[in-house]
Amino acid sequence: MEEVVRIVEEEGVVHKNPIVIAGLPDVGLVGTIAASYIVDKMGYKEIGYVESDLFPPVMVIHEGKLKYPFGIYGNGSVIVLLSEVVVPPNAIYPLTRALTAWIKEIGAKLVIPITGLPVENRVDISKPEVFAVGNSEAAVKELREKQMELLEEGFIAGTYAIMLRECGKRDLNAISLLAQCFPVYPDPGAAASAIESLELFLKLGIDVGELLEKGEEIKLKARDLMRQINLSAPEMQKGVEQDMPIMYR
Amino acid sequence: MEIERRMLKATWGYDGNLEPLYEVEDKEDEILVTFDLPRVRKENVEINTTEDSVEVIAKMSDAVCWERWGGIQKRITFQAFRKQIRLPEKIEPEKAAASFKNGILRITLPKIRRKVFIQIE
Repeated sequence: MEEVVRIVEEEGVVHKNPIVIAGLPDVGLVGTIAASYIVDKMGYKEIGYVESDLFPPVMVIHEGKLKYPFGIYGNGSVIVLLSEVVVPPNAIYPLTRALTAWIKEIGAKLVIPITGLPVENRVDISKPEVFAVGNSEAAVKELREKQMELLEEGFIAGTYAIMLRECGKRDLNAISLLAQCFPVYPDPGAAASAIESLELFLKLGIDVGELLEKGEEIKLKARDLMRQINLSAPEMQKGVEQDMPIMYR
Repeated sequence: MEIERRMLKATWGYDGNLEPLYEVEDKEDEILVTFDLPRVRKENVEINTTEDSVEVIAKMSDAVCWERWGGIQKRITFQAFRKQIRLPEKIEPEKAAASFKNGILRITLPKIRRKVFIQIE
């Protein structure tokens, strides 16, 4: 039976227990902006793509070439998952299952989905804080050792939430980084904070200065993708992230 | 509230205007409308309100120019953001207030409302 979601790798890719960074479209486009900046600054080549009949019938044209909107970039030690279109809610489960199965197969040692934590008063926050969620005792222990601020209680929703779960099922350690961000506007400042926190796990030495300088230009280019995210937010149950769990102590 | 149909409607126009991202929130006694206006300075923002609408025209400090993109395939330049929003309830334009910080325009629009205090027996 043909798989619903297919991970297609280029031939000859050699994986060396990589760390996988996931930057999928979500609140503030934090993950997408961060992943895109990382790929650009590190010069990562495209090593594959993800395709599915559940994705919208969209292809991207860059420099006159046809490209898949969901690309996989990296070198032997780091892989970046980057999508230029919203993952439809009905694709989340098959996508995360396929991705985590592939990540396990390539021997990855850590998965880091990057996303945003929407806050109402973001306009008054000069430097967004970054919070973290780990999917296992080992992951949480590492976060505490690195003195990361943990999300202790609450709900998380969206592709990254299910990514954490599916990684856990396959004994893959996963740590999600969530940077305080605007709820409905692209947030390069939040992406910069997330990249700085990423340094604790992965010494890439990326300078976020250019990201901050080009923040307004990024916001202009990201408007349409942000609009798509906002339209899909209700079905993604993003509102539940503001709710208090009944088991809250 | 009127639902905007977006079938083939783009968020930009050949008139040099971009449609900004915005959010409308019902805050009980007032309506809060925010706009994301990158490359805009406070002095270049114009806001007009009526009882049931708010319009923002915001000129960018530097025009943005995109080339070889989509159906355009040549140079197109945008100089301003422009958007008119129909409000879900009537407001008092004279009591509206606005602030602009870090590229975010916030407009608070008090609703027309007569409050009556009800005593609980």
